[in-house]
Order: sequence, then structure tokens, then C-alpha cells
Amino acid sequence: MSVLNELEKIKEEGQNEISDASSLEGLESARVSFLGKKGKVTTILKSLGDLSSEERPAIGKKANEVRQFMENIINKRKKELENEVLKRKLEEEVIDITLPGKRSPAGKRHLITQIIDEITDVFIGLGYKVAEGPEVETEYYNFDALNTPVDHPARSLMDTLYTQKDGVLLRTHTSPVQVRVMKETLPPVYIIAPGKAYRKDVPDPSHSPMFHQVEGLAVDKNITFGDLKGTLEAFAKQIFGADREVRLRPHFFPFTEPSVEVDVSCIMCNGKGCRVCGGVGWLEILGAGMVDPNVLNEVGYDPEEVSGFAFGMGVERIAMLKYGVNDIRLFYENDLRFLEQF
Amino acid sequence: MRVSLNWLKDYVDFNMSVEELVERLNLSGTAVESVRYLGKGLENIVVGQIRKIEPHPNADKLVVCQVDAGVEEDITIVCGAKNMKKGDKVPVALVDTVLPNGIKIKKAKLRGVESWGMMCSEIELNLGEDTSGLMILDSNLKVGEKLGKALNLEDVVLELEITPNRPDCMGMIGVAREVAAITGGELKKPAIEIEEANELANDFAGVEIMDADLCPRYVARIIKDVKIGPSPQWFQKRLKAVGLRPINNIVDITNYVMWETSQPLHAFDYEKLKDGKIIVRRAGNDETILTLDDMERQLNDSMLVIADSSGPVALAGVMGGASSEVSESTTTILLESAHFKPTNIMRTSRGLGLISESSLRFERGTDPNGVVFAANRAAQLMAEFADGKVLKGLIDVYPKIINPRTMKLRVNRVNKILGTDLPAGEVDKILESLEIEASKAEQDNQLNVLIPTFRPDLEREIDLVEEIGRIYGYNRIQSTLPESSGKQGGLSLSQKIEKRIKNSLISSGFWETINYSFVTPNFYDKIRLNKEHPLATYISLKNPLSEDQSVLRTTLIPGLLDVVKRNVNRNIYNVQVFEMGRVFRPVSEKELPDELLMVGGAATGSWSEGQWFGKEQPIDFFSIKGAIESLLDSLGIEDWFLQRALHPTFHPGKCAELFINSDVAGILGEVHPKVNTAYEFPNKVVVFEFFVDVLVSHTKSITRFSEIPRYPGISLDVSLIVDEKVSNEQIIKVVRTTGGKLLKEVRLFDLYTGKNIPTGKKSLAYSLTYRAADRTLTDEEVMRVQERVIAGLEKNLGAEIRVS
Repeated sequence: MSVLNELEKIKEEGQNEISDASSLEGLESARVSFLGKKGKVTTILKSLGDLSSEERPAIGKKANEVRQFMENIINKRKKELENEVLKRKLEEEVIDITLPGKRSPAGKRHLITQIIDEITDVFIGLGYKVAEGPEVETEYYNFDALNTPVDHPARSLMDTLYTQKDGVLLRTHTSPVQVRVMKETLPPVYIIAPGKAYRKDVPDPSHSPMFHQVEGLAVDKNITFGDLKGTLEAFAKQIFGADREVRLRPHFFPFTEPSVEVDVSCIMCNGKGCRVCGGVGWLEILGAGMVDPNVLNEVGYDPEEVSGFAFGMGVERIAMLKYGVNDIRLFYENDLRFLEQF
Repeated sequence: MRVSLNWLKDYVDFNMSVEELVERLNLSGTAVESVRYLGKGLENIVVGQIRKIEPHPNADKLVVCQVDAGVEEDITIVCGAKNMKKGDKVPVALVDTVLPNGIKIKKAKLRGVESWGMMCSEIELNLGEDTSGLMILDSNLKVGEKLGKALNLEDVVLELEITPNRPDCMGMIGVAREVAAITGGELKKPAIEIEEANELANDFAGVEIMDADLCPRYVARIIKDVKIGPSPQWFQKRLKAVGLRPINNIVDITNYVMWETSQPLHAFDYEKLKDGKIIVRRAGNDETILTLDDMERQLNDSMLVIADSSGPVALAGVMGGASSEVSESTTTILLESAHFKPTNIMRTSRGLGLISESSLRFERGTDPNGVVFAANRAAQLMAEFADGKVLKGLIDVYPKIINPRTMKLRVNRVNKILGTDLPAGEVDKILESLEIEASKAEQDNQLNVLIPTFRPDLEREIDLVEEIGRIYGYNRIQSTLPESSGKQGGLSLSQKIEKRIKNSLISSGFWETINYSFVTPNFYDKIRLNKEHPLATYISLKNPLSEDQSVLRTTLIPGLLDVVKRNVNRNIYNVQVFEMGRVFRPVSEKELPDELLMVGGAATGSWSEGQWFGKEQPIDFFSIKGAIESLLDSLGIEDWFLQRALHPTFHPGKCAELFINSDVAGILGEVHPKVNTAYEFPNKVVVFEFFVDVLVSHTKSITRFSEIPRYPGISLDVSLIVDEKVSNEQIIKVVRTTGGKLLKEVRLFDLYTGKNIPTGKKSLAYSLTYRAADRTLTDEEVMRVQERVIAGLEKNLGAEIRVS
């Protein structure tokens, strides 16, 4: 048999052995037996020197071709086998993806804080700052400076919580912050004042002796009732949804004139009338008005020079409307099963 | 204020649906609280006539009636009432009718006799309060006719919420004026025509006002020869529709005219007034009066009474006295129409706990110049319905006349406040529609305005601006946003940091809570503070809702422990909560207390229940400390340390004060076992409370960038055994000082006591990382330092180094 024939045979033999190799180890031993130091192809290549110069080019060429060929198919087979191994490994590593995730503990903001933050963000966007004031207030800031008549029923011991010190009370609304801010700064004033307020209300599903309000105040050279309306519409749409409608009903408050109560179209029924809105299609969300000239005079502003609007809203009420919470007392029980919901 | 629309139509024409009227009233400031449709539910009640009444064969208390109800043949109805006789017409509910109270009439067998319907009383039909027997109808009604139609019952009654500034709307005419203004209708006030007798009222009676400050005006009329009896049906129907109980023609007339004009009236039985004399004066402190509701009232000199020469006969503006009450035998009436000072009536009425339709109107303020109209209107009706003879002239004592106010209204001002562009003509028109006279002033674009005395709320120009706005319609005013005048919104630095504090605690696993600012006065007891402790000095409320909520909190801790308690009681044992809120600390020389913003937290149980991937991690001191470390880290606060502290609320060995620089920032620790027992906590509870302002003041808002290490570090471990008393901090300190500047990190990764470690000793293992900024360190370099560290530990702390 000529060397060329022999090479042809080795090639055929190798091809079979390599493609038959069922594992990386088998493939490696096949490689060694053909291309290893003592392998069949290697042996022929090593013996090329012994050949005559006539024979050498043809056999050398052929032997190199066979080696090249075998290297190629070994590599190919190797990749195939590696892929199979990986495939098997991946199959073995399949996990139950329905097992619970490994969570790190994390809490949440109280719903009231979330609502206040949401409202605050809206007004910061409109150019407002956030003001604060004491929760234990004087009668002066809570009532007198806000144009509340001396015999107004809101001042009574039935409605307002007083401390033992004369004329010192728990603020009944966040409005005294208005007065404090105006007394300390010159117009223009654009503030909101979120915070706690207190009234002598026996707790029941819709009353709490402590609750939260967000007060708003804008005083500037040319503030109009139209500005109040536009501001509240912008607010309502951002908090309750872009397709909310707003209506203003005339009302009466001592510290604003004109005064209004503000309704949004019902968030549940869109104004058609349902249980949430009591069938009227509207939900009352806040009280507002143009700052009464008496209040402006009291803080040393000239009502002929500047005008302003103010509004105040109950945070719990907004939270209850928006999230369907049916009992205001839940906000202060702090049952984790309540807190976790929002 | 209840308004019958049938009645209202006497004063104003309006042509719109009830729904639209309600909407317009709502949007012009007269809030409609409810709408009641009268005659509803009576659609199937018919007029029937009783043909025959026979005793029931088996029951003494029942009778068997044959009733013609307009159907083919007479029907048999078994009935228990006694007040009817043969031929009476009565309301009949036939079989299958549902009564207004929801009861469905069915064919029934009553003691063996079949009954095919029911004859009804007033109350069963929601037409009145009478329960004594069947409602006997007018004999002129047609048998078989629907009752609602026969009685002309269909009416709509609006319940209006009248704000305290609008006393005029406590009367039908006032409401009609509003309706006229918002609908463009015309206001029609009743015309007064009285035929006066020749006798002079002044010859019969005299009025003297002793306290003109409390009673600026008193008008009286005398009506003679009245015949007391029921008022006409239509009149009674109106009164009932608005919730007033018909009594007799005279009383009904005073009520009717009050409802119509908002001016309360009172009718005295003239014969029972001693000397025909009315004296308006303050009561004496020893006087009493028996009021119409049969209550003996103790009076005092802050109260105004109407007296005759023998004593009080009425509590002015609040309620009449029993002694001069109109009765069946009354023949001569002294009719009072007066004006009283609102605040005085309010005080008297509240003081006695006696609120009447009259006091409700007087305390809001009635029209001093409307009293004559009301008196004349009532006198006219008394002549008409009671055959009374109205004596000539009014007795009118009006010491100091109250004139309509005049003021100027600048049209520009109206537009400037409202953001409108209304011409003077339109402003004028709106005012006139409210019966406010306006005329052009000398100055351009100004109006001279005359405010009628029935509108005491209109005191200033701004009040008129509101009138223009609400009648023009707020929905018609263009929405705008304030023109920017360089305003800049945003949170202050401390408000931003407060948010960061909350966010850090939340991401550490704490839930935010909000607790009441008021607590029980023995809160300090529960957390083992004695009375002398500064936190036990608090602000008390004068009129708390309850003892439990009678003082203001001086610390957040009791509130947080209550939250833990409440959850634990509900079988929630893993509780991690915090609160950021104010506490109130009295300062003796200041009017208001210091309000300190605190952040506090409480944690118990474990971070979570055991999981498939690992055991639960029980909460202990270090859980809280870890959260605090994260918090301080998030605020960029580095120069902090804990110092062992003793505090009665806390476990003496597990409590520390947090210092930042040299400021006390607050306290943290495990609560004292006794506190735990008092609260009945099943697991240990760890709490903390910090001053937000201290955290804020040390917060670094900007951290300077430092180069990221370019060269690798080398980490070596060291394990050592030391006395149990040696603290981690002491070890770190030695390591740091001996490690020099190449030592970058020290991390405790193991702490062990027990088996293989001698008693009183503990084993710790630290990983030390060495690194240089400018080169890769060699092993020899690092070993040299590590040996120095080890030597330092052995020498300074007597540490025994274990081979690592």
C-alpha cells in the first residue's frame, strides 16, 4: 500500500472515530491517536525526511492536508460536544422560578405623607415654597388675625382644644401659618403649609381630633379670582386625574372674601352620580377664597397694592377619596396591614 | 331653611326644572342639602267613602267597614280605628299598594274576616304626625280620585344650608330674591292691604324699651275680636311642607310670616298682659319665666325679656311665656315685631340650651327696617283668617334709626379682584337684581351703592365684589395662573434632609407611622421616668376629649411603643416602625412651648419570618444600630460615636447616646425588661429617638470626590482572644494607630465565645486591608505592618493571637 493510500485510509478512519466520539475525553483520545506525538498522522509527517525527494512533495502535501482536515473536524466536533455538555449542565441547573424572591426589608411612607408629598410636588412645580408654623398656637394667630369674630362658635371650648395657658390652643387649621409668613416676609408670597391641625371632634369613621391640612397662599401685585380658579384646576387635575372638572361654589369663611368651596367631578363615577359622591357627581375637596383685606391689613400689607388667594384642604379626606379608605381612624392606628397597602 | 317650591312661586316666577334650579342655587352660594318630593309614594292611594260600619264578629277592638273606593263594588276593610263614622271620606290603600313607609298592602284575614285594603292615618302616609286615627278627608273630595291629586299634595321641598352671613335667606322672600337674581325673574312681594278700625292701638297699649342696646326697635299692633280656630288647609299644608306644626290661626300666621320674611313675630294674648304694657328690659337675677315649652327658666341680667308691669312675659327673641300664650279664649292680640341684638340672643339661647326658629333668625341678624312690613303682613292675615279687627296705627318704638349704609364701589376694583372685564352697566344690573340700589358716582367708573338693611353682611367694597362674582357666576370667570414675578419654588435644605432621613429609614425596613400628639398624662410612668424627669413636664389641655388624650407628648417613644403593642395584640409580631413628628416641651418664660421635630423608631421580632433561603434575623440592638449607621451614612455624617448611657426606659447594658461631633443627637437601645413587662411585649423591643435638627445641622450636602484606588490592596486576617471586657472600639483603635496610613479598612467578621474559648474571654477575627495610592504593595511591606499591629494588640490589650 502506498503512503498516499495509507493516508487516505487514516483520514477515513479518523473521520469515523472523531464523529463517533461521544465525549470530550473520547475525542481527545482520538486526537492523540491521530495527531498526538505518536499519532498516525504525526508518525507519517515525522517520516517525511526519510522519503525520496520525488515522493516527498506529494506525500508531504497530502499528509498536511489530512492533518489540517482532522484538526478541523476535531475542533468542530469539540464545539459540538462542548455545547452538549453545556446544554446538559444548563438543564441540570433549572430552578423553580416560582420560589419566593429574596427581598431586603423595606418600609413605606405613611399614606398621609405620600399625599402631602404629592400635593407639595404639584405646588413646587407652580413655584411655591413650603412653610411651617407651630401646632400649639395663640388665639391671635389662629383666630384674631384671620378676621374671626370674637364670638365665633369655632372658638368655643366645644370645638377647639385649648391648653391650660390663656389664649393658647392647638391650631384648628393650618391658616395661622399664612399670617406668620406674611408678617415675616414682604410680597410676593407663594407658599403652601402642610401640617397637623386639631379639633375637639370625638373620633368616628369621618372625624379625628388630629388631622392634616395643606394650606396654600399666594399674595402678589395682581392676583385675581381667576388665578385662584386656574391654580385649583391645575392642582385637581394633577392629583385626581387630567379629566377632572372643577367647580367653585360661593361659601363663607371669615378670612377670605369672596369665599368658595371647591368640588371636583367624582373620581369614581366621573360626575354621573354614585355612592361615593352621594349621587351628586361632585366631591367637595377644599375651601378657598381671596384673602380678606382685613387679613392683609393685619399683617401690614396694603390691600390696594397687593391681593391674594388662599386655600386649605384636608389631607385625610383626599386620601380617603382617592384610595377608598372608609375610616379616618385607620390612619392613626398604624396597623401594619394598613400601612403595607399603600 | 326649608323652602316649598309651590310657596316660593308666590314671590318669584321661574321656569326651569328642579334639578336646574338646585344647580343654580348651589353655584350662587345657596347650598341645597337635600330635595324632597312631597306626595311621592301616594300614587296608589285613593279617596274612599265609608258606606257601612259593623262590629267585628270575633274581635271587640276591630270593625268591619264597607268602603266605596271608586272600584266596581264596595270593598270590605277590617279596621281598628275609632274616629270615623259612616259617610266619612278617608284615604284608602288598595291591595298591592306600597305605603310611603315601605309596607305593602295585601289581602288578609283578620280574625276570620277578609280585608281587602287599608284605610290610612296621616303618619302612615307621611302627611303628618297624627297617629290617633284615620285621616278624615274633606267631604267634597271625589271618591276614587288619587289622593295626591285630590289634596294637591305634590310639592318639592328644598333643604337649604344658609351660611351665617345671610340672615335674609332665612325667609322665603330672601330666597326668592336670590332666585330672581340668578334666573332673571321678578321678585313679587305680597301686597299689604289692611282695613284699620277706628280705635287707636296707642290707646290700648304702650311699649317702653329700657335697654335699647339690646332692642333697637319694637313694633306692636293690636288686633281685636279674633276668632281662634284652625288656619285654612292650604295654609296648613305650606307650614307642614316646611316642617312647622299647625296650631291655630294666630300662631300659624306668626310662623308663616316669619318663614316668609325671616322676621320672627310673637302674638301675646293682650288680656293677659297686665296694664297693656310692654316693657323691654334685662331680666333680674332672681326672676324666672315659664316658657311655652313648659320649662321653668332661671333668668339673669344678661338676658333680655319682654315684660308687662308684673313681670316677664317672654324671653325676648327666643320663646314666649306660657302666661300670655294665645288660647282658644283669646280675643285680642298684641302682635310683636321687634329687632334684637344678635349676639345677645345667641348668648341667651346657648346659655339656656333653648334654640328656636325665632332665636336662629335673631342671632344671625334680622332687618330692623323690615319689622313694620312683617307686622302689617301678619295683621292683614289675622284680619283675613281670624276675622280680627286691626286697630289703627302701629306702636313703633325706634330710639335710634338704623339707616341703609351707603358706599362707593369701584368697577375697576371689581374687575381687578375677579379677573373680569365687566362694564359698569353689568355691575349695576347685578346689584339691582339683589335690590341693592346703585347709581353712577361723580368719579369715573364708580357707583354709589345703597345697602339695604336686610343685608348686614355687606359692609365693605370687597363684600360687593363677592356679590358681583357669585351672581355673575364663578364658572364664567376665566381660569388663569398668577403671572410670574420671579418666584422660585422648592423645599428648604432642612426639608430636603428630613425627606432623606425618612427615605433612609424606609429603605432599612421601617414603616412610617403617624401618632396623636396628645397622650395620657401617665405616659412617663409607663416608660419608667420619674416625675422629676424633664420629659415628665408637659403641656396639659384645658378641655381634652378624654383623660387619655389630655397632655401633649414630650417624646415619641410612648406613641411608638403603643403602635408595637397594637400590632402585637393583633398577632403581628414583626414590627419595625418610625415616626417623624413634633414633641412639645414647655418653656416657662415663653408663651408657646418649644416644638422639637424628632425622629424615632421602634422594632421588635425579626426583619421577616424564616424563609426558604435562610433563618429569620431577630431584631436586637445591632439591628437598630445598623439602620442608624445607614442613616448617618446617607446624610454624609462621619464624626459620630456612641457612648454608653443610662436611661430609665432602657436596658442598662444595651443603651447608648448618639453623639455627632460633640452634640447629643439622641438615644437608642433595648427597652428595659420592666417596660417590656408593663407593655406585655412577647419579644425584646429596640427603640431610638433623635433630634432632627441635630442630624440636619451635621448633614454634609456635598461630599468631595476622592480618587478611586488604582492599585490593588492586600487583605490579611487576624484572630485574637481577649478579655470579654475589651471592646471592639478599643481593638479598632489599636489596629488603626499601629496600622498606620497603609491600613485602609478594618472589618470584624467573626465574634465567638463558648466552647474552646476560656471563660471570661472572647474570640474576634478581623480582616485588615492595606493599600497604597501610588504603588502595589509587596508582601514584605504588608507583613511588617501586620506584625506591628499584632504586637500592638498583644502589648496594649493582652490579646492572644491565634494563627490565621
